[in-house]
Order: sequence, then structure tokens, then C-alpha cells
Amino acid sequence: MQTKTKKKLSENILDKFSIDFLRNQVLKNAYGNDDTVIAALDPRILLVWYLFLGLVPWFVNNLWFLMGCFLLVLVTTILARVAGLVLLLFGVGVFTQTGYLLVVSLFFGGNASTVVPLLILTLKVAVCSLASVTVFSGLDPDRLSNGLMWYGCPERLSFSISYAYRVLPMLMEEFQNILLSYRMRGNPPEHESFRGKVKYLIYQVRIVMHAFYPLMLNTAKRSRTTVEALEIKGYRYAAVNKSVKKMKLSTLKVTYNDLLFLAVSFLWIALSILASTLF
Amino acid sequence: MELAKKQTATQSQKLMIFVLTMALYGLATLFTELIPKFQVGAVEFSVEYFLFIPLTLAMLFDPLSAALGAATGELVFSEIMLGQFGGLGELEKFLTVTIGVYIAGRMVKNPKNRKMVGIAAITGTGLQLLMGTVVDILKVQLAVEDIEAVAGLPESVCATEGLAFLNDLLFSGILFCLLPTLFLVPKLYGKIEPLLGMRPRDEKTGLGGINGKVVIGAVAAFAAAAGAELLASSGTPLIEWEAEWAESGKALALGIVVAAAVVVVALVVLKELAVRRNRMEQ
Repeated sequence: MQTKTKKKLSENILDKFSIDFLRNQVLKNAYGNDDTVIAALDPRILLVWYLFLGLVPWFVNNLWFLMGCFLLVLVTTILARVAGLVLLLFGVGVFTQTGYLLVVSLFFGGNASTVVPLLILTLKVAVCSLASVTVFSGLDPDRLSNGLMWYGCPERLSFSISYAYRVLPMLMEEFQNILLSYRMRGNPPEHESFRGKVKYLIYQVRIVMHAFYPLMLNTAKRSRTTVEALEIKGYRYAAVNKSVKKMKLSTLKVTYNDLLFLAVSFLWIALSILASTLF
Repeated sequence: MELAKKQTATQSQKLMIFVLTMALYGLATLFTELIPKFQVGAVEFSVEYFLFIPLTLAMLFDPLSAALGAATGELVFSEIMLGQFGGLGELEKFLTVTIGVYIAGRMVKNPKNRKMVGIAAITGTGLQLLMGTVVDILKVQLAVEDIEAVAGLPESVCATEGLAFLNDLLFSGILFCLLPTLFLVPKLYGKIEPLLGMRPRDEKTGLGGINGKVVIGAVAAFAAAAGAELLASSGTPLIEWEAEWAESGKALALGIVVAAAVVVVALVVLKELAVRRNRMEQ
């Protein structure tokens, strides 16, 4: 009975973790939440905000200040309604970056005094990643790339961002189709015993590697089509032309909401600085 | 015939290679980011490196475009799209991937020569991993303040990083970089180039092996990578600044708070006024 439920549970988790699920999560992350408070803000303002919260915590070792920053980015992450998968990845990432260090240093003869510096380190990592989660998954990809372009990032980068979001669902679908066709024609080894399981794993990895062969050829064709279509529109000349850039960026506008967002964040940071001087 | 002599792709072909590598490697890194990792003690079993994709493409096409495409793809797909962008620190990964892939691509003169392909694949992977390890060790040594006070931390960091390097090189390096590259390069050779309207690379059209210029460029880029990563995680000057205001700055901090509050109130009032004005106009 127990083994049955256990089996069911693992099947359930595996079901959820299919390629379709991943695709949906990525798409939801990119386009699903453009009606939030964060998404409505000006990308330039958000990038400045991110620059502060992504850099300054690394240089400060005060627990109160870091706590304040952490609460601030926590609130903005909730406001941005980030997809669940991204938050899960964030949790795992923070643990593997510093959590394991804690365990290892205890093993090598550390004690409770190890905890405080590592807590500070963990908070630093958490603040930076949550700030980036807010900005980079809260914003529409096009607005994000416009914002980056305004700051003079190379055109290649903003092109890559817009292109990546558009091409990813197609690529994922194609990869899945190729995998399925391999699976249909293939004859997987038995995976009841341990030996069989190892063989099965090797078989799966081999299929994934083999699947990249047709995928590479197909993508090569597609990228040629893409580049030729871009060339017809005069992409390489437009990319460096100033008046084209100006037209592209004319949609960006700073409103009172943006300034208010900055001011409230600033107030909160100032309060946490005050707290760090008082205690 | 000028084109046939040197393997210099035209600008738009370079862009094609860039787009191709970016899309493929981005997709692969997205998967690796999502696949859970198994950890047995300090040894990690993960499908970490799909580096065989850019390695293969760098050996077949223009290495620099492929290397830059791979690094950009990783940055955009797995960092920015999933919201894991680490700021300045990402520069380190960007540059190490670029160096590793570029050098591996330059090493191969004739993709039909399997031995050379294998050596180049494992060299590129090893270089990338080694640079990452060195930077990681330096980073933790500098990031955690008064590291000597934390008993056992320096040794443990060196031990775990060294183990991780060996594990990555032997496990991911051979399984996920060497073998697939050996399989894919001969298979794709002569088939994928016409799709981009190019001639296959051979002894005559190759870019030439590694020379002093490449090495110097790689070393400079690595120094920049290490510098960026350390800058992102150290920050000695600002710690002193912080200590200053911690002593004498209560009044200053209070002043900042008051100023910020005033700004917030002023903005709220201004916004209200603007909204009301809009309504009046309507």
C-alpha cells in the first residue's frame, strides 16, 4: 500500500516536471504578468533601482541594513507575481551557494561563530538574486531590452533578449518532438534491476545527445532565415543608426509612479540605515 | 576566391553563427538550470555542461562568433529569463566560457582529425572549469570577512572547490563534452555548413593554430573576469565608509530618513494634483 502511494507520488512529481510544464512556466514568467505594479514601471528606473540593490549589499556587512534590503526586495518580488518555478530555483540556488558551506565548515571544526558571517553572506546573495528576479522576470522582455538599450548596452544584447523569448517556445517544442520520435523508434532497456536502471539512464542521456544532431541542423536553417529576414530590413545598419534608436525608445516615459517607487524604496533603505546606527 | 582562402565568414554569416549558437546553447543551459542536482557528499552529479554544443560549432565555424554566442545565450536564457542575473559577477562566466570555447575552436585545423577534436574539446572544458575554480577560491577567501576567524573555512573551501573541479572535469567533462563532441563534429562536418552558405573548414581554410596573440588575449580576458568577480564580491573600501557612519552618523541617518519622507509626501501630493488636473480637463 505504502509503496503504491509512494510510486504514485513520484509519478505525480515527474508528471509535473514535463517539458510542457517548463515551457508554460517560462512563458508565464515572460509574458504572464504584465499587469502588475512592477511591470508598469519604467525600465530605466527599475534598472537604476536594481543597480543599487544588486551592488551595495555586497559592500555592507551590517545585519540590520541587509535585513532591511531583504524585506524590501521580498515585497517587490511579491508585487511582481513571479512564477513559482523561478522562486523554487531561487531557494535552491541560495542554499547551494552558501548553505552547503555552513555544513562543510562545521565538519572541518567550525562552531556557532561560523553562523553569523554565513548568515550575512546568505542575506547578501538573497538580496541580489531577489532584486534581479524582480527586475528581470517582472518586466516584459521588450521593455527590458529597451531599457538596456537606453543605457547604451550593445544592440546585440537587446536583440538577443527579444529573440530569445520568441524563439524559446518553438525550440522547446521542436526538441520535444525530436525526443518523442526517437523514443517511438527506440527500444529502451529494461529498468527493473539496478544494473538495468544504470543502463536506462545511459540510454536516456544518449538519446538527448543524439537529439541535438537534427536540432542543430534545423536551427542552422532557421537562423539563416532569421538573419536573412533581418538583413532585408537593414538590421545591421539600423542597429547603429541614432535616429532609429531614438524612434525605438520614444515609448519610454517616466511618470510620478516611477518616482514614487524610487522614493519609497529610498525611504525604506534610509530607515534601515537608521536602524543600523541605533542598534 | 578571397573568401575561400581564409575562413573569414561574412558579417551576416557571423551573425548567423551567433544566433545559432545562442539559441542552442541557451536552450541547453535552461535545461541544466532546471534539472535537479544530485549531491553525494561534496561530489556533485549534475548535467552541468552542455558545453559540447558551442564546442562543436566553434570547431566547424568561426570560433569567435560561436564563443560569444554561447556566452550570450547562457546569459540571456538561463540568467535573465529565469531572473537569476547576478550582476557584475556574471561577467566572469561570460568571459570564461568565451575563452574556453574560442581556444578549443582555434585548436582544430581540420575537423576530420578526431584526435585533435578530442584534445581540443577536453582542453576547452578544462580551461573553462579551471578558471572558474580559481576565481571561486579567490572569491570566498575575500568575500567572507575575517576568514581566519572562521575555523576550518579556508581549507574547506579549497577542498570542496578542488573536488568539484576534478569531479566536473571527469564526470561532466568526459560524458557531456568529450564524447558528444567526438560524435557530433564528424557527423555534422560538411552537412551543416551549406545550410549557412559556407564552405567546410579544412587545412587550407582554417584560421591557423594558437599563437601568442591568442594566449595574451585569453590571459587579459581572464584577468578581467577575475577582477570583475572579485569586485562584485569583495568591497573593502566601502566597509570602512560604513564604519564611519555607524559611529557618528545617527543624526545624518535621521536627516536622510526625514528627507526621504518629505520626498515621498511631495510626490504623492504632486501625483494627486496631476490626477485632479486631468479630471478637470476632461
